Amino acid sequence: MKRSHIIAIGIVAVAIGILISASQDVTTYANFAQAALSGDRVKLVGQLEKDRPIEYNPEKDPNFLSFYLRDDAGAVRQVVLRAGKPQDFERSEQIVLTGAMNGETFEAADMLLKCPSKYKDQEIYVRSEKSEQASK
Amino acid sequence: MEYIGEHLFPGQLGHFLVVLSFVAALLSGATYFLATQRRNTASFEGWRNLGRFSFLVHGLATLGIIGTLFFILTQKYYEYQYAWANVSDDLPFQYTFSAFWKEQQGSFLLWSFWHIALGLVLMLRAGKWETPVLAVVALAEAIIASMILGLYFGDFRLGASPFDLLRQTMDAPIFAQADYLAQIKGNGLNPLLQNYWMTIHPPTLFLGFASTIVPFAYAMAGLWLREHKDWLKPALPWALFSGAILGTGILMGGAWAYEALSFGGYWAWDPVENTSLVPWITLVAGIHTNLIARNTGYSIRSTYGFYLITFILILYSTYLTRSGILGDTSAHAFTEMGLGFQLILFIGLFSVLAGWLWASRFRQVPSIEKEEAGASREFWMFIGALVLFFSAVLITGATSLPVWNKIVQLFNPDYVGAALKDPVEHHNRYQLWIAVFLGLLTGAAQWLRYNERNEKIWAKTFIRHFVIAVAGAAVLTALNALWLNIHAWQYFAMLFAAMFTVVSNLDYIIFFVKGNLKQAGSALSHIGLGILLLGILGTGLNKEWISSNAFAMDGLIEGMGNEEMNQNILLLKDAPMPMRGNFEATYLEDTIVRQTRTFSVRFKKRDDQGNFTGEEFVLHPNVMYDRQFTKVVASNPSTKHYLTRDIFTHVSSLPKAELDQEFARQQEDSLRFEPYEALVGDTIFAKKHYLVVDGYSKTPEHPEYKAQQGDLAFGLKLRAYSLDDTLGYPANPMLYIRPGEGGFTLPANVGQLQMRVRLTEASMGKWLAMEESLDFHQFPMKAGETIDFQGYKIQFAKASREIKHPGYAPLPEDIAVAADLEITAPDGQKFAASPVYLIRNSQPFSLKDELPELGLHFRLENIDPKTETLTIAVARASGEQQTIPLEIAENAPRSDYIVLEAIIFPGINLVWLGSILMLFGLGLSMWRRLMVDKK
Repeated sequence: MKRSHIIAIGIVAVAIGILISASQDVTTYANFAQAALSGDRVKLVGQLEKDRPIEYNPEKDPNFLSFYLRDDAGAVRQVVLRAGKPQDFERSEQIVLTGAMNGETFEAADMLLKCPSKYKDQEIYVRSEKSEQASK
Repeated sequence: MEYIGEHLFPGQLGHFLVVLSFVAALLSGATYFLATQRRNTASFEGWRNLGRFSFLVHGLATLGIIGTLFFILTQKYYEYQYAWANVSDDLPFQYTFSAFWKEQQGSFLLWSFWHIALGLVLMLRAGKWETPVLAVVALAEAIIASMILGLYFGDFRLGASPFDLLRQTMDAPIFAQADYLAQIKGNGLNPLLQNYWMTIHPPTLFLGFASTIVPFAYAMAGLWLREHKDWLKPALPWALFSGAILGTGILMGGAWAYEALSFGGYWAWDPVENTSLVPWITLVAGIHTNLIARNTGYSIRSTYGFYLITFILILYSTYLTRSGILGDTSAHAFTEMGLGFQLILFIGLFSVLAGWLWASRFRQVPSIEKEEAGASREFWMFIGALVLFFSAVLITGATSLPVWNKIVQLFNPDYVGAALKDPVEHHNRYQLWIAVFLGLLTGAAQWLRYNERNEKIWAKTFIRHFVIAVAGAAVLTALNALWLNIHAWQYFAMLFAAMFTVVSNLDYIIFFVKGNLKQAGSALSHIGLGILLLGILGTGLNKEWISSNAFAMDGLIEGMGNEEMNQNILLLKDAPMPMRGNFEATYLEDTIVRQTRTFSVRFKKRDDQGNFTGEEFVLHPNVMYDRQFTKVVASNPSTKHYLTRDIFTHVSSLPKAELDQEFARQQEDSLRFEPYEALVGDTIFAKKHYLVVDGYSKTPEHPEYKAQQGDLAFGLKLRAYSLDDTLGYPANPMLYIRPGEGGFTLPANVGQLQMRVRLTEASMGKWLAMEESLDFHQFPMKAGETIDFQGYKIQFAKASREIKHPGYAPLPEDIAVAADLEITAPDGQKFAASPVYLIRNSQPFSLKDELPELGLHFRLENIDPKTETLTIAVARASGEQQTIPLEIAENAPRSDYIVLEAIIFPGINLVWLGSILMLFGLGLSMWRRLMVDKK
């Protein structure tokens, strides 16, 4: 057998091995109900419930944030993230979490915020009299 | 409707140039194609000249588009959506560039600009390769130009024009007014992008992106003309150039993330980062097979493949970052503009063209039947290229999960989609082995020769140097293990591989090229790789959050267990806080300039015995507010650099009242203020505290108060004590009346006591009444004269132009005179006062001076220059001291703290040094190729 064939076979074998082992790194998107059912780490997309309490009290613990999230299925659960609260948290229109359910709360290990872009923000700033004077 | 004040001409010119640029690029591509097909006929020159001409027209039109758009941005023509969305009146000029390429259209133009610049160089230098290479470049240019066309075919829009008018893109009631333009102002640039990195990173990265088309086009040309060997030589320096520039662009992105963003690192395996790294990896693989092909004739097919796939991957990266598909997996993709379909066509067209050419010519490409020898350099270099390719496949596969999801959802709409649990951990785990292989291969292959057939002779040299490298690497591995926190054997493997390539390539430079650095490009790059890997180990394994204090927070916090998660620490103002790593941090102060609020945090280091080592520094992380000053929009880090490590800090949170004015107002309303009366020298007993009234001031100081001429200001000086403590905190509330603006009160916050003290309208009324109750008596006086006022002898010593009045802030045009008075009290004590008369902007002001001890007030009311007589007015307050009403709240939440994240990055400079060395090696090799090829 030619050496290149051996290498080719080797690479294919390694590739299959990696695919199998890497499949454990992959998780699916889920809602709260599915996350509770599987008990595994999942990705979860939802919206911040702005009317429910957002608890972040850095005087007590700068690494504890708790809030309520509505998932795609409409279920609302408490989410706990052991990290600081990002600056524009309240403005987020969508939140992507990685984590698992722990009883009735979702313990998030990682959070990504999607904030409204300027395009969707159909708001036109109207010049105040002051800034008009300044620009003259 | 006829709108007032719009500038429509630049937009019309821009639209025309966009169409011209697109058509000219198409024409250039077509004529260059025909010229190539007829390269051996008489009509060749005519077609080629037409191709050149239309490429130049395309270039000029594109420059015209860029100029027009830039003009619109600098002139702040907000009738254009692009200007309205990205600039504002107060945006400093240097950020116009950032605003220009922040959006998709601007960055397409930037990409196009570099293609044109590279195209012109190729036109001059490529010789016989000009027509096929430029045919490819012009085709790509036509497609990029189509991205900004903004033409409608029924409902389908081809491209997004940067010259759209705001009123066409948006439906708002304001456009019902003809003079809407006078009423709107620009959105301005996101403060995160107001940064010099945003000025230099995109042009470099896009030059890197653009330059990958050159090796691609040469590869296409080689296949097209069936000249499978000739193209290898001119393509190599271009590939080296591209590798150096694209690498620099990526490195700058990492440096930006590390230096100026609060990411807390230089690499996060974010999809946007990955998709620019992957083409660089395949390009480097291509450079290696290109070298093999030039030296031995092996690997021509794979060189074709690598250069072709590199550009396709650049297009794929463009698709991922611009189509919005990364949605919830990336923190920093472009705003989606509905170009996804066009981008897929772009990838599809080039993939099909390249794939078809490669497949159809595959069998004709010369290859050597006999296998590479196991001891030859080409064999192991090829293995290295395969390892690189493997790395690219792994990263791309994981990064493409959102694309797989989309595809599966096309057929099965119920599919929920898959995602990586922890991308950083996933990529690190696999790329670690890539790093190990690369380290070993780059170390070993350097000592092998091309076309090695006689394995016995060479084996002696190889084995000798191999032993040197292994021994050296073992020693260095042991030494580095002393400072690295290695807790798994895999990291030892990576460290050893890194050290192996460093030692082996150093050995190569010394013994093989004998220190001739001109020939050491590859060895320098490989040493750079080794140093970079060491730096990655240092920053990755030894990265330590020092913003944590298990000791101080123990028991205070519920549910805290996971040590690694404790990455933030609360710093109360002026209260030193011990932290991990024997540091003590103190939040000293904050200052506000424009929208930026900068915090000063002092770090002091202690030794193991707890004594201060004298090592001390102050860092200045800041946050930026939006223009309404209601929200924090960016948090910028501040880093202390040492040779061996960095200490990186940023403000991760602030009291909510500082972040959100609406909340602050609500909080203010919820405070329970109780009224009290202050009498100088007396003590006020509040519910939980007592306050000593030290006095009052007409020139009070307050952090939020900036004195202006004409202000009437009044402040109380208090010291606040808690009932069970003897430590007093200053509390200085004040109020002021500014002519034309009204009265303002500035409360004093005593964060430590959760106390807020403020003066109210009642205090203002009382104070004004005190002022008004003064009964001034006027005395015209000349210098040297003395009068008697209720037993006080007042001498007018002299008129002075030297103003020492504390309430006076000089301006150049001022005319100001002070009357220096000497007062002798009945008991013989002497005092001095100097009231001021000021003319500013033809407005007279009188600045009062007073002697509170005596209750005497002085004004300089008039100056008669003819008689040199000054009118001085004197009044004496009634003997009884007046109380000032004030209000005290004792339930004010603390707002004098910051939440800080602080990280130590050991070995970060190794990352920079290694990367720069690697890129420098690429650049050096390119220069060397050009010099050698010239001869």
